[in-house]
Amino acid sequence: MNVLSTLGLAASSLIERPLRSILTSLGIIIGVASVYAMMSLGEVAKRQIEESLNSISTRTMQVWPDRNRGRSSQTRPTMPFTESDIIEMRAINGVYAATGTLTGRSYTIATDLSDLTGNFLGVDPDQLKASGNEVKLGENISYADVETRRPVVVVSEGIQQRLFDGQNPLGQIIKVNNVTFTIKGVVTKAESNISFGNDDLFVWAPITVARERVIGGNRFIQNHVSNIRVVGGLGQNLDSIEKEIDILLRRSRDLKVGAPPDYRIFSSRGWQEQAASTTKSLSFLLAAMGSISLLVGGVGVMNIMLVSVTERTREIGLRMALGAKKSNIMIQFLTEALLLCILSGFIGIAIGYFASTLAMKAIKIEPFFSPYVAFVSFGSAWIIGVVFGFLPARRAASLNPIEALRHE
Amino acid sequence: MSEASSETTLISCRDLTKIYKMGQSEVRALDGVNLDIMKGEFVAIIGSSGSGKSTLMNMLGALDQPTTGHVTINGEDIGAMKSKALAAFRNTTIGFIFQQFQLLPKKSALKNVALPLQYRKPKVKDAAQQAANALALVGLADRAGHRPTELSGGQQQRVAIARALAGSPKVLLADEPTGALDSKTSTDIMALMQDLNAKGITIIVITHEHEVAAYAQRVIEFKDGRIISNKRNEGVAA
Repeated sequence: MNVLSTLGLAASSLIERPLRSILTSLGIIIGVASVYAMMSLGEVAKRQIEESLNSISTRTMQVWPDRNRGRSSQTRPTMPFTESDIIEMRAINGVYAATGTLTGRSYTIATDLSDLTGNFLGVDPDQLKASGNEVKLGENISYADVETRRPVVVVSEGIQQRLFDGQNPLGQIIKVNNVTFTIKGVVTKAESNISFGNDDLFVWAPITVARERVIGGNRFIQNHVSNIRVVGGLGQNLDSIEKEIDILLRRSRDLKVGAPPDYRIFSSRGWQEQAASTTKSLSFLLAAMGSISLLVGGVGVMNIMLVSVTERTREIGLRMALGAKKSNIMIQFLTEALLLCILSGFIGIAIGYFASTLAMKAIKIEPFFSPYVAFVSFGSAWIIGVVFGFLPARRAASLNPIEALRHE
Repeated sequence: MSEASSETTLISCRDLTKIYKMGQSEVRALDGVNLDIMKGEFVAIIGSSGSGKSTLMNMLGALDQPTTGHVTINGEDIGAMKSKALAAFRNTTIGFIFQQFQLLPKKSALKNVALPLQYRKPKVKDAAQQAANALALVGLADRAGHRPTELSGGQQQRVAIARALAGSPKVLLADEPTGALDSKTSTDIMALMQDLNAKGITIIVITHEHEVAAYAQRVIEFKDGRIISNKRNEGVAA
């Protein structure tokens, strides 16, 4: 018998017992549908975590001076970082951006017509790259602006909305602590799950101008910056970058071996990774739950196939008497189980896709079709067919034709 | 049937013994049977229940193998064959007719008749045509699309005979072919067998009814696993 006639035989056997075939396949359909739905929900969670792990905020390390650590318990002024620290950090292998910021407190930011209280920061050009922000209008602060101490600023969209009613502010004048700046750009804040200060009222000025004319005073002299932000490249080992930063700072701040550091490195990586591993176990759990229902469906298939073999004992005996080999009988029953599982697999995937799409819409996630998930759920239907069809098929093939023909 | 065409031996049994083990005891179902059946013969094997005739039929049908001795059919020794070869042998050489017809209830008469051709190697190209021809031979050409449940007992047995004929076997082996039929229909079926035999087909009928055996040219009687008589039938029924 060739493949086509075997398939035809299996199909006609299934069609001849429609109710039984439908009820048996129901178990597999539900199993495959739940495997698909559970796995694709797991996939959604995985994708979201991966996205956030790759986001700039997760790859960012913030380095701050630490006031009370170090030599004695008495409060001493924090020791700021210098621009040469930043240059060295930028050179570390795997670093995507390193930028120094001079952080001011709240400042009054004013135009001729109105004013508001916002954040004023002294930055270098790498700030834009490190924050993941994008220039919406005009241009970013340049190194020339820093060098020549040009009184220009880049403002956030929030400032544009509040002070200029959303109009183009390029070339307009604003005053920060009565120092006059010309607006040269507007930036859009990057979407991020984690942000250090999520207020959208920001004014960025060249770090030199900010230091010398607005924030400076006694606190910052020469080339000091208040904190440094280092962003690792995609897929880079952030731990080793952090270690190198540590080594570099201990050297530049002249710390003795074993002395506690007088700075701190913050990152959100730890809990992000924690979330990722939790998600992983959750997806595994979901897939396991789906698999259990598939397994139950498989047992149902085996049960019904065994009943079918018993019921069709005389048919098997007859076929053997007419020239069917044991292998013909074996293949016939295995094909029936497999065909049932494959057809159920298709329907199950369709239902699983539909269910997971509904679920994703309910939690406001763009629904998607994952070929990988479909492949795995479909493959498991095949495996169920072969595994649970094997025992009944073997039983059928091992019947003695003489006894089978006499079976009542 | 002319004597000239039936001289070649088709089936030969030599010292055929079949022993079944039932727990501690042994049952000798066949006990040193020697038998020759010629090509084109119509033979009836008769005996009461337990006489060994069914065991002999299983041997002649290549469904079972002897404990000792030899069964040679169409030149091949059944006892020496493996299960796979036996299956192929049954398919090409034997046409079975059963008491209970053994038709597949959900398949049409034509599909039932074509069943043995499914297992033929190389693949039979015009299986449907061959099955239709066999149905015509038993006078059921117009019932090809009917399911067994839509046919009378006699018609069902005719379909079964057509199925046995479809693969052009060397011998038809009928096990109580009229056991489930009324006497009128039985007569028709046996007459059909005679017709087929007249066309040159070798037929062996296993029965416990003398009326049925009366249609054969030769009657071999079994008792306790042995042949107790083997004689030509002088007054063949018609």
